[in-house]
Amino acid sequence: MGSKQRMLRCIHHKQEGGKDMKYMIETNNLCKQYGEKYSVKKLNLKVRPGCVYGFLGPNGAGKSTTMKMLLGLVKPTGGEISMFGNEIYEKNRIEVLKRTGSLIEAPSYYGHLNGRENLKIVQTLKRVPEEEIDKVLKIVRLCDQQKKKVREYSLGMKQRLGLAAALLGKPKLLLLDEPTNGLDPAGIQEMRELIETLPEVYGMTVMVSSHLLSEIDQMATDVGIIDKGKMIYQGSLAKLHERAKSQISIHVLNQTAAVRTLEEYQEPYRLQGEELVFEDREETQVARLVALLASNGAQITRVTEQQKSLEDIFLSLTGKQVSL
Amino acid sequence: MLREWKTEWIKVRYRKIGWLLAAYLLLIFLWITWALHGIPREQAEDGYRMMFIQLPMINTILVPTMMAMLASRLCDAEIKGDTLKLLCTLEQKGRLFDMKLLMGACYLAFFVLLQIGIIFWQSAVHHFVRPLESVQMFCFIVQIYLVSFAIFLLQVVLSFFFENQILPLAAGILGSFVGLFSWFFPNGIGKQLLLWGYYSQLCFIRMDWDKDTRITTYYSEKFDVFSFAVLTVVLVAGYVYGKRMFMRKEI
Repeated sequence: MGSKQRMLRCIHHKQEGGKDMKYMIETNNLCKQYGEKYSVKKLNLKVRPGCVYGFLGPNGAGKSTTMKMLLGLVKPTGGEISMFGNEIYEKNRIEVLKRTGSLIEAPSYYGHLNGRENLKIVQTLKRVPEEEIDKVLKIVRLCDQQKKKVREYSLGMKQRLGLAAALLGKPKLLLLDEPTNGLDPAGIQEMRELIETLPEVYGMTVMVSSHLLSEIDQMATDVGIIDKGKMIYQGSLAKLHERAKSQISIHVLNQTAAVRTLEEYQEPYRLQGEELVFEDREETQVARLVALLASNGAQITRVTEQQKSLEDIFLSLTGKQVSL
Repeated sequence: MLREWKTEWIKVRYRKIGWLLAAYLLLIFLWITWALHGIPREQAEDGYRMMFIQLPMINTILVPTMMAMLASRLCDAEIKGDTLKLLCTLEQKGRLFDMKLLMGACYLAFFVLLQIGIIFWQSAVHHFVRPLESVQMFCFIVQIYLVSFAIFLLQVVLSFFFENQILPLAAGILGSFVGLFSWFFPNGIGKQLLLWGYYSQLCFIRMDWDKDTRITTYYSEKFDVFSFAVLTVVLVAGYVYGKRMFMRKEI
């Protein structure tokens, strides 16, 4: 499904009292400092209702810390958090979190209990009917393994059980921190498809973190890119794609002559190996450039158009190689 | 509150905590049966006093390790399965800490109750003549329950703060040794500074052993209300501090 199509799925949600809620999650200058070092610095997160928000960043960027702060597992050293339009305090935290589901890092489980008993604990604490257990087991396809001790589950099954626990009570907001970690390719695909359907089928807003750009690209509608604790891009994935403009690459035999000509005519360029690279050029500009180089003896052998990939954008934003 | 309580009972399924208590009770029963075996008739007549000093001694040796195991059984499931990050989004952190203590308090009540059963069993078998003083029974229950619960509180805090459960268990074994040696210290500040020393500090029965006749005479002393008050303050302070530390712990 394309990102534009996915964007259309965003649903309007109402706050308690009927007022339109602009953001499901909103943080204002959220900070977490350990000693002198900032793990998260002045983060302004804005998650629209009904979207799949991809929270992207390299390892150690502050994704998990941010998500833990949203859930009250880590105390912020500064800033405010609002969820469902309500500012979160220690006193109202549990009440607000009743409408959320979460899966943070590795799945949580009691190995000595079976899958159903594990879900029974969550179901009891969430105060939802017992029939919900059967429904979520069906969603994550663990019906046949529900009587098996969880310590005998594979990592993928444990992850699915964790997701089932998060889905109990049909939460309006789901926070998933690297949910595909440790899954095999089939499991990753399955998890991705499931996450994609949640806003449409259950009206949920999903915030999913990952260090895998390709993963976020395939399931998110909105994206936030974090690096060294700072938000470096936030907006729709479609807008991020728009940044992926083309570049023209020209291969010449006489590079000295080509460079001299470009310097003389003050044409911006950069050298990439044997290639001369030109950013954001329209067709007429390319034609003029080729004619100019040819007439000054550059001896052009190849002109190619290259599309800037999301990886390139990520790299230019974070300065780090993205995991693929 | 009831829901959290209910979930704690689901969590302890298959953890064999009942077997742990049963094993320790059996050990206590066998130990006290051995201690009473073949005692002179005149000494057996004062059996209750004998029980009120023998049982605290046995508890001093056995209960610290049992409390370490009990606390570990109750808390390590949360550590092993990394469940705190899930539970703390569903219930107040402080309440989870309270529930663990409440669970331990229930198991401990059951444990102390069955020790009272052992006293009556021995009374029936050995025909204790001197009547049971209800005040002494009450003091015995307070002594065993309060000291054991304070040790349990310490062990819960250790079990929650150390992922490796060997350390809390080592603390339990160390406590047994410290407690045992405390019986040889004179009553006073030395014992009051050691949590495990309160079994002997609060013991209200003393004994004299006559080397020539080889007869032990038991006599009662006033219950040490001051030490009881000190222990109660330590327990309350330990609870407040332990809970605050747990609530501040980042997951």
